[in-house]
Amino acid sequence: MNLLSLLIFTPMLFGIIILILPSSMRASFRYLTLAATLVQLVISVIIYFNFKTGTTFAGINHEDQFQFIQKLPWIDLNLGSLGKLQIEYFVGIDGISVTILVMSALVMVVAAISSWEITSNLKGFFALFLLLDMAVMGVFCALDFFLFYTFYELMLLPLYFLIGMWGGVRREYAAIKFFLYTLFGSVFMLLVMVGLYMSVTDPATGNHTFNIIQMMNPNNYVQGSVFSTLNNATILGLPARMVGFVVLFIAFAIKVPVVPLHTWLPDAHVEPPTPVSIILAGVLLKIGGYGIIRICMGIFPDAAVSSAFWLGLLGVISILYGAFNALAQRDLKRLIAYSSVSHMGFVLLGIASGTAEGVSGAMMQMISHGFLSSMLFFLVGVVYGRVHDRDIYNFRGLASLMPRYTVYVMVAFFASLGLPGFSAFVAEAFSLAGAFKSSSVNGLLPQWMAVCGAVGILLGAAYLLWTLQRMFFGTLSLKGGEIWKTALTDINFRETAALLPLALLALALGIMPSLVFGKINDAVLAFVSFLQLK
Amino acid sequence: MKDLLPNITPQLNDVLQSLHFFVPELYLTVLFIVVLVTDLLFGKRSAKMCRVVATGGVFLVILQVLSQQVALPKEAAQRIFNGMLILHHPAISFKLVIDVLALILLMYFAWDNKLKQHTKGLSDLYSIVMGSLLGLHVMAMAVNLLSIYLGIEFVSIASYLLAAYRTGNAKSTEAGLKYVLFGAAASAVMLYGISLIYSFTGTLDIFAPQMQEGLTHINGVSSTFAVGLVLLGIGFKLSSVPVHFYVPDVYEGAATPVTAYLSTLPKIAGFALLVNFITPLIIFSTDAKWAGINIRLVLSAAGIITMIAGNFAALWQNSVKRMLAYSGIGHTGFALMAVTTFSAAGLSSLAYYLFVYGLANIAAFMMANFFENNEDITNIGDYKGLGFKYPVISVAFVVVMISLTGIPISAGFTGKLLVFSAVYDIYQQTHDVWLLALMITGAITTVVGLFYYIKIPLNLFLKRVEIAQNDILKSTNLVVFSSAIALLLIIFGILPHLLTKVL
Repeated sequence: MNLLSLLIFTPMLFGIIILILPSSMRASFRYLTLAATLVQLVISVIIYFNFKTGTTFAGINHEDQFQFIQKLPWIDLNLGSLGKLQIEYFVGIDGISVTILVMSALVMVVAAISSWEITSNLKGFFALFLLLDMAVMGVFCALDFFLFYTFYELMLLPLYFLIGMWGGVRREYAAIKFFLYTLFGSVFMLLVMVGLYMSVTDPATGNHTFNIIQMMNPNNYVQGSVFSTLNNATILGLPARMVGFVVLFIAFAIKVPVVPLHTWLPDAHVEPPTPVSIILAGVLLKIGGYGIIRICMGIFPDAAVSSAFWLGLLGVISILYGAFNALAQRDLKRLIAYSSVSHMGFVLLGIASGTAEGVSGAMMQMISHGFLSSMLFFLVGVVYGRVHDRDIYNFRGLASLMPRYTVYVMVAFFASLGLPGFSAFVAEAFSLAGAFKSSSVNGLLPQWMAVCGAVGILLGAAYLLWTLQRMFFGTLSLKGGEIWKTALTDINFRETAALLPLALLALALGIMPSLVFGKINDAVLAFVSFLQLK
Repeated sequence: MKDLLPNITPQLNDVLQSLHFFVPELYLTVLFIVVLVTDLLFGKRSAKMCRVVATGGVFLVILQVLSQQVALPKEAAQRIFNGMLILHHPAISFKLVIDVLALILLMYFAWDNKLKQHTKGLSDLYSIVMGSLLGLHVMAMAVNLLSIYLGIEFVSIASYLLAAYRTGNAKSTEAGLKYVLFGAAASAVMLYGISLIYSFTGTLDIFAPQMQEGLTHINGVSSTFAVGLVLLGIGFKLSSVPVHFYVPDVYEGAATPVTAYLSTLPKIAGFALLVNFITPLIIFSTDAKWAGINIRLVLSAAGIITMIAGNFAALWQNSVKRMLAYSGIGHTGFALMAVTTFSAAGLSSLAYYLFVYGLANIAAFMMANFFENNEDITNIGDYKGLGFKYPVISVAFVVVMISLTGIPISAGFTGKLLVFSAVYDIYQQTHDVWLLALMITGAITTVVGLFYYIKIPLNLFLKRVEIAQNDILKSTNLVVFSSAIALLLIIFGILPHLLTKVL
């Protein structure tokens, strides 16, 4: 049995068990979900340790260099003049995906632990949770565009219900906004996908194919097809490949999210219950970054290089705009949501630099942000779960009331603002180094972008430290008075079990970044040289 | 008179030979009479009997159509009855789609409480449906202006009767009357077009050389006008803009199962007819001297406007049936996209798309019917919180809505993908801006579609209200049946080749 398929379909198996079990056994659902995510974590760790490194396993545009491949014929439609519709169940990973998989599996465990706060409609919640889990893993493993798209869209419906049914006051608005935004991006992605399919043939069979890796090879494009590199075809008067790139970029930029396509995020991250916020911030945002690397730039490297300046600019804008917005928030959860926008800007900046440092930094930032944002949302959930309030000004001096909690908050905050020794420092330093170096190596980004990015780190320190000061230091003063004081107990064993691994990993990655870099390095180098060929 | 005598023998021979290719329709004719006689013999108690006979009979018809599909060589096109009808694989596919959906509908009619309580009983309904089914078959095969008109009228008259079936109900009567008035106007317009074409060309056979001769040499505006009038008549059956005005009122007024019938079968047959009718025009227009109608332009424009009008109008609807009516108009526009390709791939994607649409739409009406039976509600707003009271059917409802929107993994998505692929292929060859505009409109209206389709899951699951439990669950067969269809939609979404093999 292929490990990746096992990883993808384990949640589905558990989900079916949950659906079959009678509602009288609802107490067991959360344990089953936790078991599913733990099994996934074990599988992903096994994959991580068995993942081979070296230039012969770089991946990116060489199908034979991917690992844990499983390739099965799936849909075989005979379409007459169009030839055969060849869709494969094709999964495999390279350095770009392997670390994200481990990170996602761990975040899912944390999300499962934080699902203890869910009390209503358990069967529906956990079934949807596991469906979402399956789709997320599938997205990171799929190497067939159709399969990728299927998993990508499959995430929407569970999320819609998870936000909409278990969310806060404005849950309906947040859920539909999220759904419409993402679908808007992805229906146009569908058109580009069909266009690519019509343009690319598999050299082995001569059929059109959805294989993403085949789409990266210019020789596989049919002469005269819309997206052919030689053809210079136009769509509505614009170069076709640029149009394809921009459409795919918009679809993924919505996910990242990149300013100005980020307006769904504050709502969609604030309204849902903690586990869903954790998955959204920890895993789903990375699908945007991953998609940009694997699909957007992988398939349209020429267009990506020529628009690198704009990508970098959008990254810088996201960093600064997100940070300024975070400064202005009263709601702690909203603040963290905007800090996500700011931090994900580094991913885009790093990728746009087109340098090995920048891309490694972007990858590291995705992993690091996955752990840290899950931790932050979990921490907000702790307070909100106890007193149902998260307005920064309603709390003061929490450090004396909840000392252990405050320790984790400080770890998460200092790690997020880029204190050396934590993962985010490595990530942001590498992204900025890449952006700085870009002007001398490939001339894609001007140096002022790196400077602006650095200012973003400063702003990050400002809003996080300010929040720390406002909420945790000083004399104890709570809006809810004595009732809140008794309600705000320090974190218990379950919460520690979720927070401790995250904190340790943030620290470990800061001290030993090779845990990530060692696995991604070959792929990143291959990716950078792949871009330079253009 | 004497001069014509020698013609009789070959004519008769032709008819006799044609009968061989007309077996499913002969079955339908016999079935129509049998159902009618059953009704007469058994009187008031005959409804159940008629239902059994009708479903059993349609099942036999499906087998016959399948055997036709196997027997007929792949690229063959058999003209029968002096060129009145044509039998080829696209026509067989459409007949198959129509019959399978008809089978589902026949089982469904009796499950609507309001229709069941009607004093007339349901026996007449079954005979009318049998008659209309024969007409639908004729529509799918018609290639002569006379048989085209005959087929359309056959179906129209049956549809008028069905729409007004609940005579005691004012809304149903209104629906029937509106349908008759609009339908009569549409047929009159179409007849005018037919007579103009006949006067230009001297023939009714659309494939005849005289037809090409006549239409090519006539003034471009005149021939465009004449063909346009016929297209309007067909468009009425498709519920395409600009002849879609009757749709919401008729759909809302008619009994729900009848609406399910009206929104699927005549539309699918209408598409089959449209394909038949435009095929010669496409061939004619390849001629350099052709100054008449640019059929791709007309269909693309109609498709774009229909998609936009249908989907945006659906946004403002409160009644489930009206919403589905407008969304059906939107789907017509999307299916027109497949017609504009004029390619074999486009045709097969059209058949697939329409079948999946038909399945999902019938299931949607079944479920709307379920809530009508149990809670006596028709407005989307009243669905609030019912998802927790009726979990199974509500989940199925969500699946069906997803399929209608066209999101993976559902058959609706595969249908959309196939249509897009077929259009893209032609776009790649011709770089026709209209095709690109069609695809972009199709993508945008998908997002618009989500906005109103999601209202149903939104109300079922997201709105929280206190629900009074009632113990008696009515219409369990609707639950079972519509859930089965929802499951089928997912299966066809994951494994579409199961379906395309047959179509």
